Amino acid sequence: MADVTFTVDGKKLTAPAGTLLIDACKAVGIEIPAFCYYPGLSLQAACRMCVVRIEKMPKLQTACTTTVAEGMVVQTETDEIKQARKATIELLLGNHPLDCPVCDAGGECELQDMTFKYGAAESKYVEIKQHREEQQWSPVVFFDRPRCILCYRCVRVCGEGMDVWALGIQNRGVSAVIAPNGQDHLECEECGMCIDICPVGALTSGTYRYKTRPWEMTHVATICTHCGDGCKTTLGTRRSNDGMEIVRGDNRDKSGINGDFLCIKGRYAFDFANRTERLTKPLVRQADGQFKEASWSEAIDFAAKRLREIRESKGGQAIGVIGSNRTTNEENYLLQKFARTVLGTNNIDHHRTVDYVSFAAALAGKSERTASLRDTANAPAILLLGNDPTEQHPALAWNLRSNVRLNRARIYIANHAEIKLRRQAKQFLEIPKDGYASLVQYLAGNDSVVAANEQTAAFRDAIRKEESLLIIFGSEFRGRDIQALVEFGLSLPNTKFVLLGDYANSRGAADMGLLPDTLPGYVPVASAAHFADEYGAVLPQNAGLDLLQMFDAAQSGNLAALYVVGSNPVTRYGVDPAVLKNTFVIVQDMFLTETAQLADVVFPAANLYEKAGTVTNTYGDIQLVKKAADKAGVRSDFELIVRLADRMGADLKKLVPFGRGVRADMGQTRGAQSGEADRHSVWLAAHGLEPKLSPFDPFATLDEIQRLVPSYSFSRLELLAGSDQHAKSELVQISAAPARRDLVLPSQDTLFTSGTLGRYSDKLKEVLDSHTTPKPVEAAAD
Amino acid sequence: MSIVRNIAAISKGMSITFKEMFQPTEVENYPDGPGPTRGAVLQDRFRGAHVLQRDENGLEKCVACFLCAAACPSNCIYIEAAENTAENRISSSERYAKVYNIDYNRCIFCGYCVEACPTDAITHGHGFELASLNATNLVMRKEDMLVPAVGMPGELAAHSDSVK
Amino acid sequence: MSTPATTIFSPETAARFDRLVTLYPVRRSALIPMLLYAQDEVGYISDEVVKEVAQRIGITELDVRNVLSYYSMLRTKPAGKYNIQVCTNISCMLRGGYEILEHCKQRLGIGHKEVTPDGQFSLEEVECIGACCWAPAIQVNYDFYDELTPEKMDAVLEEYKTGRGKETR
Repeated sequence: MADVTFTVDGKKLTAPAGTLLIDACKAVGIEIPAFCYYPGLSLQAACRMCVVRIEKMPKLQTACTTTVAEGMVVQTETDEIKQARKATIELLLGNHPLDCPVCDAGGECELQDMTFKYGAAESKYVEIKQHREEQQWSPVVFFDRPRCILCYRCVRVCGEGMDVWALGIQNRGVSAVIAPNGQDHLECEECGMCIDICPVGALTSGTYRYKTRPWEMTHVATICTHCGDGCKTTLGTRRSNDGMEIVRGDNRDKSGINGDFLCIKGRYAFDFANRTERLTKPLVRQADGQFKEASWSEAIDFAAKRLREIRESKGGQAIGVIGSNRTTNEENYLLQKFARTVLGTNNIDHHRTVDYVSFAAALAGKSERTASLRDTANAPAILLLGNDPTEQHPALAWNLRSNVRLNRARIYIANHAEIKLRRQAKQFLEIPKDGYASLVQYLAGNDSVVAANEQTAAFRDAIRKEESLLIIFGSEFRGRDIQALVEFGLSLPNTKFVLLGDYANSRGAADMGLLPDTLPGYVPVASAAHFADEYGAVLPQNAGLDLLQMFDAAQSGNLAALYVVGSNPVTRYGVDPAVLKNTFVIVQDMFLTETAQLADVVFPAANLYEKAGTVTNTYGDIQLVKKAADKAGVRSDFELIVRLADRMGADLKKLVPFGRGVRADMGQTRGAQSGEADRHSVWLAAHGLEPKLSPFDPFATLDEIQRLVPSYSFSRLELLAGSDQHAKSELVQISAAPARRDLVLPSQDTLFTSGTLGRYSDKLKEVLDSHTTPKPVEAAAD
Repeated sequence: MSIVRNIAAISKGMSITFKEMFQPTEVENYPDGPGPTRGAVLQDRFRGAHVLQRDENGLEKCVACFLCAAACPSNCIYIEAAENTAENRISSSERYAKVYNIDYNRCIFCGYCVEACPTDAITHGHGFELASLNATNLVMRKEDMLVPAVGMPGELAAHSDSVK
Repeated sequence: MSTPATTIFSPETAARFDRLVTLYPVRRSALIPMLLYAQDEVGYISDEVVKEVAQRIGITELDVRNVLSYYSMLRTKPAGKYNIQVCTNISCMLRGGYEILEHCKQRLGIGHKEVTPDGQFSLEEVECIGACCWAPAIQVNYDFYDELTPEKMDAVLEEYKTGRGKETR
């Protein structure tokens, strides 16, 4: 739109016509206060805080509903306006309890800030304030009615943003009140957006309630460990008896890839880290079959000795390695390097939630064809095939909804279920569960494969008319189907693709070569020359055993050792525990999972919130993970792999290229805690290594990843500054996907589950229980 | 003349000395004096060891708002908050201080915490005998600082976990 | 957004509702008339009414409750057989509306928005009922009685008590 020129507080400004005055002012640093206005939501003009004086207009005008016009002359801070705002606050405070010392929002409350700015601390009103008891609406949402200032932000974000419509306004005038849809409780997606957006402490979080105060916490912005969207979550931590405890998760600075959004898992499901049954000491199985706690050096020595014996007696092919979907890229990379150089085996795999290899092969050499999560919020047209983003990719669902609402994006959905996003879809096509491949053929022009009718024809025509299309698809597509879909997409003028995988670093695990047949960057194991040069070792040339083959080999007695890092394949794949009875099993995990219970050595590992590194979300956005929490007794997977390699006699300088390239550090840059730096320096001194360069520094490994994996050649500076970097799929050195078994096993997680990890979150369990056993409605909200 | 002036000066000085000899003594007989303070006389405004107050129902006044800890220039106040329940009500508000420690190794008795307290829960008492041979003894817990619940309404006091 | 298979309303009302939702450019505009007709038939807005109305219009039950709680003429509890609505808006107030209200309260032994134990009468203090020229006025169900005095009021009450009043349902 054409630009208009106007004057605010004597400054000449220019903004596109149609811009709201409040936004135009904010863009140049003139802050106009507002409670009810929230960017991206519908306009309310309920709070009257944003009033400004516009020349030639009678009375003060609300800046949040006024669009800028040519020649407009605006005053934003005059005595008259100050007085008006002060009076507004005085009215708001008329029935607002002054319990700021107790209120959870105290210290980050917009009403508090405004009162400090405009005064009105003394009130002219002498009426008694009406008290109402606090209500619990769900395990995670509490409502304190007198604190509410009726800005309607929660109502709008729940309805427009989440498409849940669980909050409404009942009664009128002074007795108007926010009411939940279940009369006395909420029936919703429990995303907590209403709490996040509440300018006061009316809606408060069930996990953070009355625990501490905002300024008492250390806030660390890191990446959520749950689904594949990779949202930024800001963890508030407090020193506790055994490290740093996470007290709160929220979306404080809104600077992340997820913008305003955070779902229940990013916001509340961090409590697994504080569980009492968390392992903090290594366990070694004794001759009598019982676990016994051991010291770190004993346990590592024991595990390394056995691995070494097996490698020397039976060779690397008798050892299997299973990686994790939730460890960092550096750990995944190091794990495959450890397997391939130290153990000498290609028997390495992880729980595959989608077929990233075929996706990479289909897009090899094509530049600018993968989309970031950010692109889903502004693509003009989107084709969603399979998956249910509302349940499995909440941030994507949020972006799609916002895109439709704010940019009138056109969404075409084909799914075998009536997913909730169909309400935003321009066209929705219900297809049989196995009908995805034939649908793609149909879209490509083959009429005979589906029962074509008017609806399918309209669907196809609409998609083919789009000038720019973003195709998002889920695990329903594998192998050749992905190839066919990408070919169809490339036949359209301007297409980008997204493949939806399930966990925080599922994409990273595949990218980093936790696969029996590909090295990092999807390089086939047979053409590993430059890796061998860099590693200074001979790499096995034949593809190794995949995950199921490993268990088959264990059953037939051909797998002597299995090294499992942060994964629970026994439950996930329904493995019979007897299979592993003759296999030496090492497990690194937070809890004694079903797999860990079968292990011979268990190392207590740190989770993603307790380490630094990078992760890649399913869109290929690489983001920095920062250490937020700390737990005495646990070690990061990175450290454990390095120590194991060391005790096996590997050359650490070859395994982790520390001391080369970018200077490593003792953890200063990533917030070392609780004597971590000391621990490292003692260990290093004991081993005669340079005390200033640590083999435990993931960034040394990131250097190597960036040298060897071209698609990860992003700007390190931007990454460290907290920006997300998109992997360059055109640089993937893969020509054709190797013929391989389809081992994809979608996690089928919902909003309230998160694989094995989710079972250890009390909050998720509580929410899940409350949703499966709805409580009876007792009384209507008054 | 100088002699006369010297004598005058000396006699003026000595006159004050002799006058003071007959005034009552101002020396405090601490620690051998009477009373709980053992002879020490303290002004009302004296800032001694902190006392955590209770309200008229015997509940703790502290609501664990952390403002004292935020105001403290020497960072010597440590608080852990918890939520009151119907069965276990410690303070009159929703939140109470489960742990409230003051590290007297670091406290400079500036009184900012008392100034900051919105509920008048923390006050300066007159306790001044804080010396110790062991620095770890100088971390006072909530139980050490709370006024006793004796004489408070019985039931509430009995439920308080602060009374040992 | 559908006609339910089983309805709690009479066939006439159900047919009326089917037509109502087609009358307006936006379906939810039919909400208030539907609630009023439903109240006339059921006597009050029960949870079942909320449920069916929401279903017929295609909005959430919460939306229905939001509107329902806004309007004082919509009630969520049964009223008496004869619902006496006493106007105390300005004209009636000036001509003794409060006197009539107090009188009713005394005679019936109930207060605002209360129902007599036998379920015969309920009393409500309401805003203007559009009978200012004959103030003070009351409305019993949909019938007006105007230029009232406490004596006339007694006569009206007596008429209904003895069953001579107009039956509305």
